[in-house]
Amino acid sequence: MPKLIIDNREIEVPEGTKVIKAAEKLGIYIPRFCFHHALGAVGACRVCAVKFQEGPVDGVQMSCMIDAQDGMKVSTADPEAADFRRSVIEWLMLNHPHDCPVCDEGGHCLLQDLTVAGGHGIRRSKGRKRTYTDQYLGPLVYHEMNRCIQCYRCVRFYREYSGYSDLGVTGIAGRVYFGRLREGILESPFAGNLIDICPTGVYTDRPSRYTGRRWDFERTPGVCIHCSLGCRTTVSARYRQVVRVEGRFSQQVNRDFICDRGRYGFYYADRPGRPRNGRINGQTVSAQQAVEEARDRLQRITQEHGPEAVGIIGSARSSLQTLSALVHLCHTTGWQGPVFRNTWIAGAAADAAVRALSPENAFSMREIETADAILAVGADPVNEAPMLALAMRQAQRTGAEIIAIDPRPLDWPFDFAHLACRAEEMEETLASAAERLSASRRPVVICGTEITDDGIVMQAADLVAGLRGSDKRAGLFCTMPQANSFGAALLDESNACAADLADRIETGQIRALAVFESDLWHVFPDRSRLSTALEKLDLLVSVDFLDTPLFENADIGIPSLTVFEAGGIYVNQEGRAQQVRPAHTGGLPIAAAGLGDHPPRSFSPDVPGRDMPAAWAAAFSLSGQAPPETDAQMTAWMRDNFAVLADLAHMEADGVRLFAGRKVSIPDEAQIPEKKPDQFLELLPAPTIFGGEPMSGHSQCLRELAGLPAVWMARADADRLGIADDDRVSLGFENIEVTLNVRISDPMAQGVLVVYRHPDIDWQPAPDGKRIFISEDQIRRIEKA
Amino acid sequence: METRVLLKNRKPDRILDLDEYRASGGYTAAEEMLQTGRPADVQEVLEAAGLLGRGGAAFPMGVKLSTVAEDAPFPRYLVCNADEMEPGTFKDRVLIHTSPHLLIEGMLLAAFSVRAEHGIIFIRPEYENAARILEREAALAREHGLLGKNIFSSGFNFDIVVHRSGGRYICGEGTALLNALEGKRPNPRKPPPYPTVRGLWQLPTVVQNVETLCFVPHVVQNGAEWFRNLATGPDEAGTKIFSVSGRVRRPGCYELPMGTALSEIIETHAGGMAGDGRFKACLPGGASTGYMPESMYHQEMGYKGLSDAGFRLGTAAVMVFDHSACLVGATVNLLAFFARESCGWCTPCREGLPYMHDLLRRIENGQGRAEFVPMLREMAGQMGLAYCAFAPGAAAPVESLITYFEDELREHIETRRCPFETRGPIAGATK
Repeated sequence: MPKLIIDNREIEVPEGTKVIKAAEKLGIYIPRFCFHHALGAVGACRVCAVKFQEGPVDGVQMSCMIDAQDGMKVSTADPEAADFRRSVIEWLMLNHPHDCPVCDEGGHCLLQDLTVAGGHGIRRSKGRKRTYTDQYLGPLVYHEMNRCIQCYRCVRFYREYSGYSDLGVTGIAGRVYFGRLREGILESPFAGNLIDICPTGVYTDRPSRYTGRRWDFERTPGVCIHCSLGCRTTVSARYRQVVRVEGRFSQQVNRDFICDRGRYGFYYADRPGRPRNGRINGQTVSAQQAVEEARDRLQRITQEHGPEAVGIIGSARSSLQTLSALVHLCHTTGWQGPVFRNTWIAGAAADAAVRALSPENAFSMREIETADAILAVGADPVNEAPMLALAMRQAQRTGAEIIAIDPRPLDWPFDFAHLACRAEEMEETLASAAERLSASRRPVVICGTEITDDGIVMQAADLVAGLRGSDKRAGLFCTMPQANSFGAALLDESNACAADLADRIETGQIRALAVFESDLWHVFPDRSRLSTALEKLDLLVSVDFLDTPLFENADIGIPSLTVFEAGGIYVNQEGRAQQVRPAHTGGLPIAAAGLGDHPPRSFSPDVPGRDMPAAWAAAFSLSGQAPPETDAQMTAWMRDNFAVLADLAHMEADGVRLFAGRKVSIPDEAQIPEKKPDQFLELLPAPTIFGGEPMSGHSQCLRELAGLPAVWMARADADRLGIADDDRVSLGFENIEVTLNVRISDPMAQGVLVVYRHPDIDWQPAPDGKRIFISEDQIRRIEKA
Repeated sequence: METRVLLKNRKPDRILDLDEYRASGGYTAAEEMLQTGRPADVQEVLEAAGLLGRGGAAFPMGVKLSTVAEDAPFPRYLVCNADEMEPGTFKDRVLIHTSPHLLIEGMLLAAFSVRAEHGIIFIRPEYENAARILEREAALAREHGLLGKNIFSSGFNFDIVVHRSGGRYICGEGTALLNALEGKRPNPRKPPPYPTVRGLWQLPTVVQNVETLCFVPHVVQNGAEWFRNLATGPDEAGTKIFSVSGRVRRPGCYELPMGTALSEIIETHAGGMAGDGRFKACLPGGASTGYMPESMYHQEMGYKGLSDAGFRLGTAAVMVFDHSACLVGATVNLLAFFARESCGWCTPCREGLPYMHDLLRRIENGQGRAEFVPMLREMAGQMGLAYCAFAPGAAAPVESLITYFEDELREHIETRRCPFETRGPIAGATK
């Protein structure tokens, strides 16, 4: 552990620490542009120069390039170093526009900060500034090359860190250009990080341009709820609406970056159609009136038909507060549920994962980065949990071998061996691929829960247990369908799924249904059965912040607060409970409340739309109980009432890990999935990064990236059926007929048709207990006009 | 006195073919060494001879070879740097056109000394003729068993490919060259690790200049002492090919003992100053070295001698200026070149050089101000903190201009015009 002195203060740091990091530990900020802790040191910008006064290194040197060593005496304020840093800033400002007061990056700009801090205030150069042509880079990232200071952070992130190649450097000397070969939409689903990582305004957030200055925003630490990873974010809100989301550092979860779904998925919160008033039989009422009406009618049905006649459905996109309030609601009233599982199969796999994960074997994304071998089974990180793909890439960059067992065509930003197989072959493939982990020391098994069943999850957990038994630091990492799938599984006592309730509605046992933050149309595979069942109900109550078809059709609609207004606790797929604080007060955004005037010209003492309840508060109200008054009281209530949530008391910066504490139960005989019949192809609905998730699917800018709906098939199948890439085919099964473009992929499993969820496919397939097989003669090629 | 070692077979109209080369003793050194010698023998004799890298950096070749560890991984690479982009330098081209097999034999011996099996000649694209000659002669050597598998029945395998550069100055920098060969941007790499430890594709790689490699057969054959005695004094070793250009009567390549005086190079070999010109200054080693003023007219031109005097011999490309030349204008020209050729990686080089060029251009055009001189002096010094040696090299002419010719600079500023008036104003930004 070398000991050195920086600005007359001593510090001891681990071997290999750069001087710039050692100084940070003392609270000394050495200027930097190219250096970024996630991307490392490359010594390009030269602004981190310091003077080495004594020790093994002599003179002015770059603090990002030099390892701290014993006996070093470093001065950051030495005149020679300070002069050089000022010169570097002057050189960078030679060609940088002088429009800080009106620049949209102003106030959010490292170059601006360091120019002011470095003391370069007056332009001496008489030369002209160079200019560039900007490029259109898609709906998310705005390009403004004139501001570029050539720190190379963008291409280092884009190409080296995240593994995409369509953004790069061209030209040399003073004409270095950062962009694409031809302008066009950036291919990386992590492109939004360019905005965070650029030290000035070359890449800016396109949808939020001109919505405000950094200092105008209420900036709040948040957690992303658009997949199960729970990445940290910073939410910027202004005038009662969210305008921007950025990545926030987390040691254990996402580190510095977030994916574009997480960054731009928030637009559902303020879309014009969002329910902000209560509805009773189609009539608009206040939210409180709707709550009271629902409470009264549910009580009446309970009195008339008994508590079994009321069913409660929740979903894993709700906060832990809402989930626990629903469990409590059913306990106190005797109502049926709550049901958190959309479908039995997906719930079973996620539940198996929650049971299998323990403090010993559950790995965080940080630990995946240091793995030396990764076996992913039934998991497609780019589409299910995007940031996981970046963590896997970091492991691969340091030499990890990656093997994927999956029927789908996988497009991952790193090299991997793809063992394409169908569901019924997965178990055997996994068993034989496990051999390949034998030489590793820190293997990780990643297991998906969306297209796999609980048997595969348990097999993966067994594999990890076996590896740990043979002295390896092995870990298990499961992806789950939704932000709070882990939390829902912790609290789920019934193990029932929505289909089970449908049975009871059809038999007349259940006469009233209250659905919390769930869109049954989106998740329930058999839509005609669903609408028939719902029509039989005496009362359908929907509590939601999305204007789902269910909300539109409900007898009573209760608007609820979003995570930005209510906050909440979400448990990610490794059992990490993380607290989200509200980013702004609830109520109608000022842009909408001003009746067209923005900013509004008239004011009232009340905030319009302020009376919307959080879903958990609504849940308490439905049984006539008063909800806890504050968030802190609610959290305390949860700890007191649910043993499994007791550890919430120890919430720290990185959250707190909650585990089910139940042993894995290995079934006596593994369920082997049904074999695909000959002359049939399996239709496999699959999640996708843009457009397939219910909340972010409302973001217009992300829908632009969703591409055209398509069906993917293996080359061998396409050749046999006489279908070519880009053909249109019609698929007929059960009572459904869909027409899709064909994409041919190699490798992917033969005998499988993969259809990614897409906002333009009205029919939204969700995985169901039973697999869908389509006869080959039901796949018809459509002649193009 | 001209001492021809490398250029002894130089013919006015053609290259030396393989038979002629073998008849003059070619490939005997390689044959003997491969059959009876050890790799360490080559390293030892080169180290004892004090053969310094002729590409400009003057690093001892024997020392460089010995940094390839005995247990270093395979395959190992030998790269011949024939990029020769330093302005004023044209010795490598002459060497290749004189005796390509001397280079091939030199590469063979150097490769043997580190057991490298792959040889790459990285050549600038303007040297297409030379590249074709090398490809043809390497094929011939392969036919005769001088390259390929089991050379001279020694069990040693070695072959050569010729790679044409993309054509930028920075590609000739030893580590940028490796990136260029890998298909990446030619940004220099920051050692450590040095290329001999992790070079091309992270494998041990020795990069040597054409002229250095051409010496290897001679040193191996004739010994270290012979080589040291070629120089004018005990501090220097061998001969050096001087590429003389500028205001002299007979510009050209002259192979002379290391340490030959500048005055002798100009007067005896280059035929004296052209026309009625008087010696004013010269760049001793290409565009990235400082101006030697008149007071150094009798300076001995060797690596040690020049370094002691505060200069660099570089590639020994002597560019001579006479009394009618405006050195401010000449430096503007040099800076335009360097500002254009920067790889664009680090700030001082990418932004500082065009800034210096702009200031100096204004001075030359009569728009200079007194404060430009200290600005130029400060920035030229700060170029030393750039990422690689490119920017300090580019700043060397500026630093020496301010040191030795400040009066000329001041005259431009005070009279608001160029006192030499050899041409009109120099056009603006060179981007």
